[in-house]
Amino acid sequence: MPRAMKIVIGVLIIAVLIGLVSFRSLHRRMQRLAESQAADEKARHEVLAPPISTPTDVTVNAKIFWAAGADKIAPVQVQLPLSADPVQRSWQLLHELTVNPPTPGQRTLPADTVLLGFYVLPDGTAIADFSEALSSEMPSGILSEEMAVNSIARTLESNVAVLRRLKILIHGQEVDTLAGNLDLTGFFDLNPPVATAAAAAANSPH
Amino acid sequence: MTTGTDTRLLAADHRDISDILCAVRKSLLVVSLSLTAAVFASVPHATAGQTSPAPLPAAAPEPAQQPPAQPGPVIVLDPAHGGTDTGARGETEVEKDVVLQIARSVRAGLERRGYRVVLTRNDDSNPSYDDRAAVANAYRDVIFVSLHVASTGADGTVRTYYTQFSAPVLSAPVATAAEARNPNPAPPRLLPWDQAQRPFVDASHRLADLIQGELAQAFSGSPPASAAVPVRALRSVTSPAVAIEISSVSTPTPGLLTASAGPLAEAIALATAALRPASAQGLR
Repeated sequence: MPRAMKIVIGVLIIAVLIGLVSFRSLHRRMQRLAESQAADEKARHEVLAPPISTPTDVTVNAKIFWAAGADKIAPVQVQLPLSADPVQRSWQLLHELTVNPPTPGQRTLPADTVLLGFYVLPDGTAIADFSEALSSEMPSGILSEEMAVNSIARTLESNVAVLRRLKILIHGQEVDTLAGNLDLTGFFDLNPPVATAAAAAANSPH
Repeated sequence: MTTGTDTRLLAADHRDISDILCAVRKSLLVVSLSLTAAVFASVPHATAGQTSPAPLPAAAPEPAQQPPAQPGPVIVLDPAHGGTDTGARGETEVEKDVVLQIARSVRAGLERRGYRVVLTRNDDSNPSYDDRAAVANAYRDVIFVSLHVASTGADGTVRTYYTQFSAPVLSAPVATAAEARNPNPAPPRLLPWDQAQRPFVDASHRLADLIQGELAQAFSGSPPASAAVPVRALRSVTSPAVAIEISSVSTPTPGLLTASAGPLAEAIALATAALRPASAQGLR
């Protein structure tokens, strides 16, 4: 074998060894990055939308609706300090829904979603203004979009009795759809009068 | 160096040239408008929703135009998304292409059963929601089916949706379905374009339940009944309208998605026959 060929093969072997060593360290670094991603998300939320505490906070069993399997949502009982003021209470609930799902698989809203504003009109209409991430990072599909909006609506409905309907804005604007399918131009009914009346009738003494 | 007279002459020459160019532009515009009008005049109204053949390599050939006098409802199939709007994205597939392939196969299946079928798009275009609704609203007796592929959900499951509206906020009364379809309506009542589906919600609910009942048997794990969800594509349709969504675009076997077209056509045909038994008899 010519000397030049031996040198080339030797250089190649050394290059492969260096590649293997650096690949292992690169793999370890990627693993560390993935592990710290969840912590980063939480830290980002702490800065962008810190948890709210008010003088009227009382710790209660709140029902937060997260994903339960691939195609439905279900309530999870969470001990939360919640305000008596409906606006502050709604902020606290939606912060919990966005930031603290029990597992990543139960998340219904994109991790970077931030609630920018929340208002309640005298007729019980709630207006929730979310950041662009709710729309741009939402996986497109009727099912995923419906689960996202349903988790918001059912969480508010179950914990804030005065709300009657919900309007969702994205970055202060009314948008046509959430991510290409679900209509956001209308309102979502909360605590519908029929259900409330039926529940009241069932609870009332005969 | 130019004098003042020279400058005026140059300016006059400029004006002449500009006038000539303007006249040429005008005549070109007249010719192009005439050609456009001639092309549009040659397109029959009933094919408004069917556009040029698809550029996709796997596209099925455009079948021959169906005779317009067939009995039974027209079934308008709406492949969701298109163009720059890809819809749900998997590793190898995008929703807009998959639903177009499925729609073409479903159309073939329904045409074999004697139904007249129109697609809201037959290429990689993205008509607006209102344009898609307008295709359906151009016919008197229509079933509207919007086809979707989800980015989530258990693989191999299918769900049917009908739209829902929140409590009415209009002060004027909204027309009922019967009034909306009456060929000799009495005094016209308000039917806003963005709530055109409202009088048809009950019929859409029945249709969605009938379709989902069939699909639940064909696709195990699918829910037994339909669900009410405010799907944007259905809001302005003045006929029974549903959306069908298959899971999911991320499946490791994308062939299963397009293979669902057969059971989908079967379910739509059976549900339509159950919803409109009289017109279904006319098909046989």
